[in-house]
Amino acid sequence: MQKQEAKAILDRAISLARGAEIEVMLGGGTDALTRFANNEITQNVEERRYLLSVRILQGKRTGRATGNDLSEKGIARLIERAAEATRHQPEIPDLLPLPGPQRYRQVDALDPETESLGADARAREVGKAVARCREAGLEGAGIYEVRAGTIGDYGEIGPLAIANSRGLFAYHMGTSAEFLVSALDGMASGWAGYESHSVRGVDGSALSKRAVEKAARSRGPKAWDPGRYTVVLEPAAVADLLQDMSWISFGALLVQEGRSFLSGKIGQKVMGENITLSDDPFHPLHRGSPFDAEGMPTVPTTILSRGVAKSAVYDRQTAAKEGRESTGHGLPVPNTYGPIARHLVLEGGTGGVEDLIRRVDRGLLVTRVWYTNVVDPKTVTLTGMTRDGLFAIEKGKVTHGVRNFRFNQSVVEMLNQVEAMSAQEAAGGVVCPGLLVHGFQMSSATEF
Amino acid sequence: MKDLARLAIDTAQARGASYADARAIELTREDIQVKNGEVGGLDLGASAGIGVRVLVQGAWGFSATDDLTKDGIERCAASAVSIGRASASLEHDAVRLAPEPGHRAVWASQCAKDPFQVSLETKLDLLFRIDSEMRAVQGVKNAESFLSFQRKHQYFLSTEGADIEQTLTRSGGGFSATAVSPDDVQRRSFPQAEGFHQALGYEFIEATPYVQNARRIAEESVALLTAEQCPAGERDIILEGSQLALQIHESVGHPTELDRVLGMEANYAGTSFLTLEKQGKLQFGSRLVNLVADATLPHALATFGFDDDGVQAQRWPIVRDGLFVGYLTSRELAHRVGEDRSKGCVRSDGWFHIPMIRMVNLSLMPGSGSLEDLLADTGDGLLMETNRSWSIDQLRYNFQFKTELAWEIRKGKRVRMLKNPTYQGITTGFWNSCDFICGPEEWKPWGVTNCGKGQPGQVAEITHGAAPARFRKVTVGVGYED
Repeated sequence: MQKQEAKAILDRAISLARGAEIEVMLGGGTDALTRFANNEITQNVEERRYLLSVRILQGKRTGRATGNDLSEKGIARLIERAAEATRHQPEIPDLLPLPGPQRYRQVDALDPETESLGADARAREVGKAVARCREAGLEGAGIYEVRAGTIGDYGEIGPLAIANSRGLFAYHMGTSAEFLVSALDGMASGWAGYESHSVRGVDGSALSKRAVEKAARSRGPKAWDPGRYTVVLEPAAVADLLQDMSWISFGALLVQEGRSFLSGKIGQKVMGENITLSDDPFHPLHRGSPFDAEGMPTVPTTILSRGVAKSAVYDRQTAAKEGRESTGHGLPVPNTYGPIARHLVLEGGTGGVEDLIRRVDRGLLVTRVWYTNVVDPKTVTLTGMTRDGLFAIEKGKVTHGVRNFRFNQSVVEMLNQVEAMSAQEAAGGVVCPGLLVHGFQMSSATEF
Repeated sequence: MKDLARLAIDTAQARGASYADARAIELTREDIQVKNGEVGGLDLGASAGIGVRVLVQGAWGFSATDDLTKDGIERCAASAVSIGRASASLEHDAVRLAPEPGHRAVWASQCAKDPFQVSLETKLDLLFRIDSEMRAVQGVKNAESFLSFQRKHQYFLSTEGADIEQTLTRSGGGFSATAVSPDDVQRRSFPQAEGFHQALGYEFIEATPYVQNARRIAEESVALLTAEQCPAGERDIILEGSQLALQIHESVGHPTELDRVLGMEANYAGTSFLTLEKQGKLQFGSRLVNLVADATLPHALATFGFDDDGVQAQRWPIVRDGLFVGYLTSRELAHRVGEDRSKGCVRSDGWFHIPMIRMVNLSLMPGSGSLEDLLADTGDGLLMETNRSWSIDQLRYNFQFKTELAWEIRKGKRVRMLKNPTYQGITTGFWNSCDFICGPEEWKPWGVTNCGKGQPGQVAEITHGAAPARFRKVTVGVGYED
C-alpha cells in the first residue's frame, strides 16, 4: 500500500475519533509463496490483507480493537469497540501519554521487481532448483517466498504505518525474498538458503547445487559419541541460536525483572572479547523498519561490545523506568513482553566457512539447527538438533557425514569460546558470521 | 459471505479450474491479559476474508483476499487459477482427490453462554482476583493471567456441491507465577502451560477453579527457587496429563501426519520415521498403549462437523495395543496409503492460509487405577508436572522435554519438590517403556494452542486427552549434568 493511501486511512480514523486520544496502526500487504517437495510444486499461495488496530486512551486507561474492514463504517466500529474496551478497565498507573511527531531515517527496502514477481517467475526459479535435484537423483523440497509489507512468518502482522492524535505519522514499506532448498536422499539431507530484500540475488540452481552436495556428503553417516566438540557453525545455525537468545535476554523488561542473563551485568564482561553484537535495522543486509509499534524511531543499539554488556533495547515504558530514551524496540501498547531486539548484527571476521574448517584438527561442521528451545533462561542454555548436514572435520577437511546430535548448550558459554569467525551473511533474520567454537555440548544422538 | 464464496468457485471454474473450493470466514476474538495488577493487553479483534483453492491441470493454486467486493472476489479467484497454472508448469503427478459426498450441512460447537456477551468487567474481575491471589505470595516477581475467546463462522463451498456452514466457539484462559533469584527463574502455571482452552462458551471459564489454585501455584513458583536440582540419571518417570498431552502431540501426532511422511514438509517441519512400510507392523509402544484420533470428541479444539476438505469428522485408531496402525490423511493423499476415503484432517488457521493436514484430537486411552495407585506401585521415581520446554528432531525420534517441577517419589509418596526436571528419549523406546496408564477417573482433555506447521506458518489448536502414565528407565536431568 502506498504512503498516501495508508495515511488517508489513518487520518480518517483519527478524524472519526472526534478529538479522542487515539493511536492507529495499519499493517499487512502481500505474501506469495511457492512450495515444492518431491521435485514438484505442492502448494502455491498468495494472500493479500491488511489489518487496522485502533487504541484509545482515556486518562490512564487504554484499550485496543483490531479489524480488517477499512471502510468508514468499519473504522467507526473499531473506534467504538476500542472505546468500549477502554471504558471498562481499571487505570494503568504507569501508562504513558501518546508520543508526538518523530523523525525517521529512510530505509531503502522496497524493491519494485520483488513486489511484482509473479507465480510464473517463481515457478521458473523453482524449476531450476528441482532440475538440479532430479539430475542428482535426489528429492528437492523448499520454498520461494516473496513478500511486500509486514505479514510475518506465521501470518502475524506488524506495523506498516502508524499515526496518532498528537500528530505522529510513520510509514515504512519493504519487500523480502527467501529461497530455501533441501535435497533429500532417504534420511540423508542437505540444505541451503538465501534471503534478501530483493529477488535479484536469488539463484535456485546454485542453492540447489549446494544442498545436493551436502546431501551427497551426508550419505552413510557415522555414529559419533555424544560429548563436547569443536564445531564450525554455519551462519544459519548461529542465527537460530542468537534469535532464541534475543527473545529471552536483550529486552529491557527482561533485564529489569531479573529474568535475563544481562540482569545486573550491564557494564561487565560477559563474553569473549571477539563478541560485538548490536541491533540495527539499518544494516544493509537487514533493511528493517525505522520505527517500532509505538511509532518511536529505532536507534541502532550496541548490546555487547568486545564482550562487555552495554545495553538492552528499550520501549518507552522500560526507558521511562530508567529515565532514558526509548531505543524504538517496542511492541503494541500495552503488552506483557516488553521490547524485543529483532535486527541482530553479530560482527564477523573475513573469509568463508571453509577458512574456519581449515583451522579444525578434529570437530564437526553444523549446517543448521532445528527445534531449538530454552532449557535454562539465565544461562541461555538451549537444546535443539543438528539438521541437514552434520559432518566430521578431520585435519582441516570435511571427511564424512555424522549422525545428527541433540545439543544442550549455553549460548553465553559458547560466545566465550569462539576462536574464529567468517564474514557476515544474512541468515534466518540475523546478520552474522559462521563461528568456530570449542567445547560445544552434543548431549545425545538420534537415529539418522 | 456465502454468496461471495459461490461467486469465487463459479469464477474459478469459469477460468478453467477442474475443482475449486472457497472458505468465507468471519473471525471474532477477544484477548485479555493482566500482569502484576495492571491490564497487560486488551484486544477485541475481528477479521473477514475469503480463501480460494483450485486445481488446474492437476496442480494446486490458492489465493486469499480481504477485498470482499465483487471485483475483489473475481480477482482473487482468477489469481488462484493463474497460480494453479504456474504450479502445473513443472512436471508433476496430477492431484487425485479421494471421493467425498458434497455435504450440505450446518454445524456448530456447543456454547451455552456466549463469551462475547459476557461483560469485560466480569472477565477483568476474574483476572484481577487471580492476580491478587498470586501477588499475595511473597517472592512472586510476575503474576500473569489471561482469558481468550474466539469464534469462527465459516462457509465452505465447493464445485462438487459441498455447502457447509460451521460455527466454532472456543474459550480458554490460564495463569502463571514467576519467581526470580540472581541465578534462577522459576515458573508455575495453571491449568497447564500456556493456558487451557475448550470448544465451549463462558461456562467453561466459570467451571474452572482458577482463583482457588492461584495461591498454591504462586507458592510453588517461589519454593522452586530453593528446591533441589533434579539429579541426572536413569529413572522411572510419571508424566501428568498435560505434559503427556504434549508428548503425544510431538512424538505421535506429527509423525503420523501423512504429508510429513510423504516428504511434503521436508524443508521445514521435517519428515517422519513412520514410513509407509511400518503401518500395521511397527510395535510403536507397549501393549497398554492405545492412541485414538477423534475429530468428534465433545468440546475438543479440533472437533468439527467437516474439515477444510469438506470431509465429515471421524474417529479411528492410530496405535492399537501398541501397534502403529493409522495415519492422519487428506483427500489428496488418502490413496497413498491405499484408502479410498480421507480421514478428514485438513484445516487452515484462517481464510488467508491454504488448508493442509493438521492433527485432529489425538488421545491416549485410559488404563486403570488412580494416580495414588500408580504412585504406590512405583516405589521410587519422579512425577513430572506441566511443560516448560520441548524439542524433537525432524524425523520425530529424539525428543527432550522440561517440566516446571518434579516430585520425587519414594516408597509411593511424594517426598520433595525438584526443580528443572528434564527428560530425553527416542520415541519408540519411550512408548514401549510405558507400563502403567491411569484409569478413566484420571483421564482429562488437555490442549495445545500453538502448534506451528507449514510455509507460510500456520497455528493450530488440538486437544489431547490423557491420564497420568509411567515410563521406565528414562534419561533425566539432561542439560543440567555439570
